[in-house]
Amino acid sequence: MTPVIETEKLTKRFGRDRGIEDVSLAVEAGEVFGFLGPNGAGKTTTIRTLLDLLRPTGGSARVFGLDSRRDSVAIHARVGNLPGEFAFDPRLSGREIVSFLAEIRGVPGLGRADLLAERFQADMDRPIGELSRGNRQKIGLVQAAFHKPDLLMLDEPTGGLDPLMQEEFLTFVGEEREHGRTVFLSSHELDEVERACDRVGIIREGRLVAVENVAEITGRAFRHVTIDFAHPVDPAEFRRIPGVAALEREGTRLTFKAHGDLDRVIKAAARHPVADIELVRPTLEEIFLTYYGRNGGA
Amino acid sequence: MSVALRAPTTPSAAATPAPPSAARALRAVVRRGLRDNRRAPLTWGGSLGLMGGLMAALWPAIEDSMDELMKSYPPALKDAFNITELNSVEAYVDGEMLSFIVPLAIAFLAVRCATRAISMAEERGFLDAVLAAPLARRTLVAGSFIVCAAVVAVVLAVITALTWVTGTIAGAEPSLVVLGRGFANVWPLAMLFGGLALLAAGVLHRAASVTAVSVGVLAAMYIVDLMGKLADPIEPLRFASAFKYYGSAVQDGIDPLAFAGLALAGAALATAGALLFDRRDVR
Repeated sequence: MTPVIETEKLTKRFGRDRGIEDVSLAVEAGEVFGFLGPNGAGKTTTIRTLLDLLRPTGGSARVFGLDSRRDSVAIHARVGNLPGEFAFDPRLSGREIVSFLAEIRGVPGLGRADLLAERFQADMDRPIGELSRGNRQKIGLVQAAFHKPDLLMLDEPTGGLDPLMQEEFLTFVGEEREHGRTVFLSSHELDEVERACDRVGIIREGRLVAVENVAEITGRAFRHVTIDFAHPVDPAEFRRIPGVAALEREGTRLTFKAHGDLDRVIKAAARHPVADIELVRPTLEEIFLTYYGRNGGA
Repeated sequence: MSVALRAPTTPSAAATPAPPSAARALRAVVRRGLRDNRRAPLTWGGSLGLMGGLMAALWPAIEDSMDELMKSYPPALKDAFNITELNSVEAYVDGEMLSFIVPLAIAFLAVRCATRAISMAEERGFLDAVLAAPLARRTLVAGSFIVCAAVVAVVLAVITALTWVTGTIAGAEPSLVVLGRGFANVWPLAMLFGGLALLAAGVLHRAASVTAVSVGVLAAMYIVDLMGKLADPIEPLRFASAFKYYGSAVQDGIDPLAFAGLALAGAALATAGALLFDRRDVR
């Protein structure tokens, strides 16, 4: 099946300034793809290039198998876009904005827009210039999704939303996936990406440094291990095990990070009386920081 | 917690949106643009129309002193402002308004109108949502030009109507046809500068830059035309000024060639602007 989004060495430079460099990725139909990176890493540039707002300096991008430049109008008919800072003429209400976009899209009614507005508690009748950032963002979500797009491109979608609405948003993303729609979600909120996404692409200084299945990446990565023994043990015994790092001893307690197979750790611990053992998976944030802390060497 | 990767599924048929249509998108842009500019007939048309009405209403009171006034004008000044004879209310309105204030103001309105939907929208970040819809950039430019043409036409009609009604009430008995052709002649001139603004918007990202370039050219053309009438060495340069082809429709009627030429030049500039806008980044 043709990927919904496919880029090949996609590059965008702004004169001498970096944008994105050789970004190659594929997003499959029906998946929620998280695009993760700190501010300025190139997330928005990637999305705006895919949407043909920015013209690539090099490489290519295809959406629904169509060329992102030549076929942009056909692509946009199937895409819903929420910019990072949703902005529109401040004198217009959400209803006027959505009506305008509905007319362009040939969507006959605003029924789904009203349902979404109710769900996200968006005030559709006040000029958006009078709304807070979070409430403008809700209008942005409505205008991005009211036409049931096959692909939702959401750039920092929860910025300004309160925790309840963030929760509602994550539920909404899950439902979109249930309906077979594809979501490309850019974020620097690791928790959000971890909860919502099937796969995650990590972008660093304009380069895509890793694309991982979220379940696999969190499963495969190191564990924080804490073992309380009945009596003190020699830490060298554990230090010798391949994959063990950052080992510390405090009385009868050993704490360390264990990369890879845990079998040798468990067997080494089993040679001593164990009072307690705790294995904690790292958060995506820790994994993310690991990527960034090692020149992106994942 | 993370969610397991699902097998890809095909979006439901119900989610399939309507196929994109340039005509539908153009209609939406024009309707939106007309709504955005709905106050222009009141603000621009109303204020300039009241000024025109005041001129027309004054005419009965000053009519008899016009011969003396004409004799007091230096010939060069009369040439510069197309004042041949101030023997009618229409000629008076022509000399007072249609040779300076109205063409410059309406051309500026056209620049502002054309700039609003492209450069101003880009600068404020509105285009990210608009251009992510199935709307070709050239359609947006075409829609802006149509809106500009319609708004300018309505504003000129309001000015004409207010001038004529006020003059008629005041007993000046202006001719609606003569006044109408005088104001209508401003339309293609304004379209030229509307097109120029769209050309500038095809290259420049900031509304202030687009306005500065367009208004700068407007002022330069006006000055070249004025100076060309006053100084023979500059006269050959007038061919490059749109104002040379504007003339005076009140005195001479509408020159169809100049009228069509200016309007088509405006459309050509807008087309070039659309092509350039299509090639550049939207920031």
